[in-house]
Amino acid sequence: MPKLALFLILIHFLPFLCTSFSPENPSSRRVLVLLDDLALKSSHSVYFKSLQSRGFELDFKLADDPKIGLQRYGQYLYDGLILFCPTTERFGGSIDLAAILDFVDSGHDLIIAADNNASDLIREIATECGVDFDEDPAAMVIDHTSYAVSETEGDHTLIASDDFIKSNVLLGSEKIEAPVLFQGIGHSLSPANSLVLKVLSASPSAYSANPKSKLSSPPSLTGSAISLVSILQARNNARILISGSLVMFSNRFFRSGVQKAGTPTKHEKSGNEQFLTELSKWVFHERGHLKAVNIQHHKDGEADEPSMYRINDDLVYSVEIYEWSGRSWEPYVADDVQVQFYMMSPYVLKNLSTDKKGRYFTAFKVPDVYGVFQFKVEYQRLGYTSLSLSKQIPVRPYRHNEYERFIPAAYPYYGAAFSMMAGFFIFTAVHLYNK
Amino acid sequence: MARNLVGFLVLVLAISICEAASIFQPISESHRSAALELFTPTDGSFGSLEETYEALRTFGILGIQKKPHIGTGSCQSVSETLGSSSSTTKDLFFALKVNSILECKIDEAIFQEITSRLKAVVNDGNSLLDFYYSISSLALIKDQNSKVDVLLGDADGIFRSIKALSQSDGRWRYSSSNPESSTYAAGLALEALAGVMSLASSEIDHSLIDTLKNDIVKLFDSIEKYDDGSFYFDEKLVDAREHHGPLSTTSAVIRGLTAFASLTSGTITLSGNKILGLAKFFLGIGIPGNSKDFFNQIDSLACLESNRISVPLILSLPATVLSLTKKDQLKVKVNTVLGSSAPPLTVKLMQAFISGSKDSSVIESQELGFDPENAVHILDVLPKSVDVGNYIFVFEIVLHDSVDKKIYTTGGQTQVPLFVTGVVKIDNAEIAVLDSDLGSIETQKKIDLAGETSVSLSANHLQKLRLSFQLTTPRGKFFKPHQVFLKLRHETEVEHIFVVGNSGKQFEIILDFLGLVEKFFYLSGRYDIQLTVGDAVMENSILRAVGHVELDLPEAPEKAPRPPARPVDPYSRYGPKAEITHIFRAPEKRPPKELSLAFLGLTLLPFVGFFIGLLRIGVNLKNFPTLAVPATFAILFHLGIAAVILLYVLFWLKWDLFTTLKTLGFLGAFLMFVGHRTLSHLASTSAKLKST
Repeated sequence: MPKLALFLILIHFLPFLCTSFSPENPSSRRVLVLLDDLALKSSHSVYFKSLQSRGFELDFKLADDPKIGLQRYGQYLYDGLILFCPTTERFGGSIDLAAILDFVDSGHDLIIAADNNASDLIREIATECGVDFDEDPAAMVIDHTSYAVSETEGDHTLIASDDFIKSNVLLGSEKIEAPVLFQGIGHSLSPANSLVLKVLSASPSAYSANPKSKLSSPPSLTGSAISLVSILQARNNARILISGSLVMFSNRFFRSGVQKAGTPTKHEKSGNEQFLTELSKWVFHERGHLKAVNIQHHKDGEADEPSMYRINDDLVYSVEIYEWSGRSWEPYVADDVQVQFYMMSPYVLKNLSTDKKGRYFTAFKVPDVYGVFQFKVEYQRLGYTSLSLSKQIPVRPYRHNEYERFIPAAYPYYGAAFSMMAGFFIFTAVHLYNK
Repeated sequence: MARNLVGFLVLVLAISICEAASIFQPISESHRSAALELFTPTDGSFGSLEETYEALRTFGILGIQKKPHIGTGSCQSVSETLGSSSSTTKDLFFALKVNSILECKIDEAIFQEITSRLKAVVNDGNSLLDFYYSISSLALIKDQNSKVDVLLGDADGIFRSIKALSQSDGRWRYSSSNPESSTYAAGLALEALAGVMSLASSEIDHSLIDTLKNDIVKLFDSIEKYDDGSFYFDEKLVDAREHHGPLSTTSAVIRGLTAFASLTSGTITLSGNKILGLAKFFLGIGIPGNSKDFFNQIDSLACLESNRISVPLILSLPATVLSLTKKDQLKVKVNTVLGSSAPPLTVKLMQAFISGSKDSSVIESQELGFDPENAVHILDVLPKSVDVGNYIFVFEIVLHDSVDKKIYTTGGQTQVPLFVTGVVKIDNAEIAVLDSDLGSIETQKKIDLAGETSVSLSANHLQKLRLSFQLTTPRGKFFKPHQVFLKLRHETEVEHIFVVGNSGKQFEIILDFLGLVEKFFYLSGRYDIQLTVGDAVMENSILRAVGHVELDLPEAPEKAPRPPARPVDPYSRYGPKAEITHIFRAPEKRPPKELSLAFLGLTLLPFVGFFIGLLRIGVNLKNFPTLAVPATFAILFHLGIAAVILLYVLFWLKWDLFTTLKTLGFLGAFLMFVGHRTLSHLASTSAKLKST
């Protein structure tokens, strides 16, 4: 009986325990890891340990465990999901393709690692993310010119790739010196999907084929169009990492040395650990997550926000932008934040200056067109969450008494009118009383 | 669970590239560095005594000298655990295990007390774990302190009560009340029984030991197998109270088996293949990532290394990629599982065949020479019949000493996939543009695919492009690589890939542009030609830009397919936009102020002229009323007119229309009144004048 009571009490706390993911605290905290085999837990332990040391609670489950579920009583139990189960044909419990898509649609993060012989289920999830794996189940990425030199692996499916995306927010500010080892299947990105990005691409000589059979027709994936690792940032800022290789996360690849064919340098350690750890920081919102607060605008020389502007007013616009560092909000420093003064199309588009403490500001003159305008900040940068701020403000023309009153060019007209009046006054007196 | 195993299998297979066979490397330096990484003490201790034991045992087996310093703290917790009366048998067991390595100073009295407690547990124990921990602890005390009497009086009885928990299939139950049988428990039971045998004051009944041997054989019937020849045990029941994975289950069985085998005199009939398979299972894991798995792996391998049934020998190749051009030697190493040297033996290369075609053997039965300095077996020169390609080499280990044959197991023939690589010669590379109807050559150019080439060709849709070259292996044979692609890339980044086929001794592709017009989306212009030749065994795989061809294709008909959309460059998509500044309406042009003032002066001139004119005519105001009342009205009338004019001035200067009109209303009424009086007075005056 006491056990039941304790359970009931704990059940009530469950929603509080699981709402750690919030706009104010965007890092994922609780992560469900689905595995084909619990042996992966030890063979890929370095990767998991790096996540755990950064404060993530990993919940390891077999993919066909009948008790797994992503949500209970309408609350998500996890903030992130790692699918290290390439061969799973069906998940256990209440998880299926739709549940995973809902999970992402509600802003949660996802890491998918496939492998050759990846199941249709994993392929379908990837397809929903705009990534198409090679349809041939036996195909692997082969590269005969930039493979990793190895004494024991001679079929050139172990690839050393160093064709990274150039982005500090995705891969960290420290350059990845050693190539990344990859062994698995390649994928292509749908050109219609603008949200998905190639992070690690294959070299121009790579192709995706079955290494054990002769090629009769051209392979469907060739050259640098093959993506080895891709990311996707959805419009709701959910982040997804898709890799065609599960073994690239393993301790063996993390620790192994690497020498790319045709280059004399032999690196002590492959770039896998750095590459994947930095990417996981991005996926779990420890980097590149922006928020904008304190949007202000007012007339130059005043402090309060007016309800409307008059044409040709001088105004000052400012916004504060912060980046989440995993623990706290740090000022975001960049020189390419822009504000638009927008009505159907931008009338003014201006770069904002920054004080390097998170505040961005600029001053400009309201255009001489009246109507309902918007201050718009559409900040979309590679790897960063997109900021889309808009604030509506009407602009009115001059009132009748706000125009210029004494125009020198009109003095002759005034002079003519008044001399006429003076003449009339004299004329009346003269006309009436002259004798 | 079976699905999980399939997953594990996939992992193991992915880790070791394999076709029919895999290579297992014995424990090496990388394990030692991984051990130091995995077993790192926090604040000078490893947490529990169990973890301390695992760390110390692993370091001991691997022979790591540079151990983290943990002696004093651990010894203290050992003596605390042993001295405390509340510690369980499990605690005592691990404390004694740690003590067996650290050899701390423990009072004999403490040992006496523990022994009596443990004996009591043994005598009225009924669960397997009780038996296991207490008997193993007693066995440890026996080794650590010779003065304490740990021998069991009723060894036969205890043996029987443990044996009573066994099942017919060789597995064991944890207790008599628990009907579920487990393989892991079988391992513990075997170890406990081995303990009983070592503690027995008199010889154990032989019939009991013989039935136990039968049990072991039965247990090994339930062993499971991977395709690569490794064997392992797995727990059948998943929902056990404490589930053990294949690794810990197999390791428990090995510990029990080797402990038992070291104490029995007779032989246990187990095939050497299975023992070797178990060793392969542990080696195939590579380096596990958690300390428990690591300990299980190393401890089991250590048990196998010194077991009395048969010691597995592992054949490994330092390199399975051999270069013909660099004249690499085929080296084979034979070691025990922990990497120590093997007894005198010869490695025979029984056969070598191209993978996929088992019948055509290229080498038949050859003995490898032995290099005692590096302890490797070497085949100096690969025979002429071995060309570049993927081979399967079949090795067999032949032990010199017939005594060794009983101790060691070699597992018969070992198949190893080998890649023989070499530099492939590329000759007679030619590119030509042919006229379609006649087949005559219009332009033909030789190209050097090894160096830089840049040909420029031009063709129209009625012509053909021909590319041909030859590939020969170092042994002078015709070579067919896996990847021979010709790529044509248009300026708009539309790519077309063709697989270059081979006809007889030469690779040739003829692109008939007439048939390809639609595939090329009717895009005329410059196409870059790129040739890729690559293979896993070709050391000089190439990706060469050959040059370009200027294609003149007909205009696209209306219904022609459009080229696919170009992928958007992510860098340009996210860049900042160009600034926009609003262009304000230009203010109207105005004349300079001086000009306006000049014209102001001009407009005032007529008034001045009018004034002068009046003076010249000689106007007078003699008609002004002289009577007081009409004069007042006249003055008021003219003041009123002046006020209206002043009102207009004020309206101009600052007033708005409403104030002005209001005031004008009053003034107007006033003016009407005084104006009427003034004008009527003037009219009556003039009428009087006329009448007079």
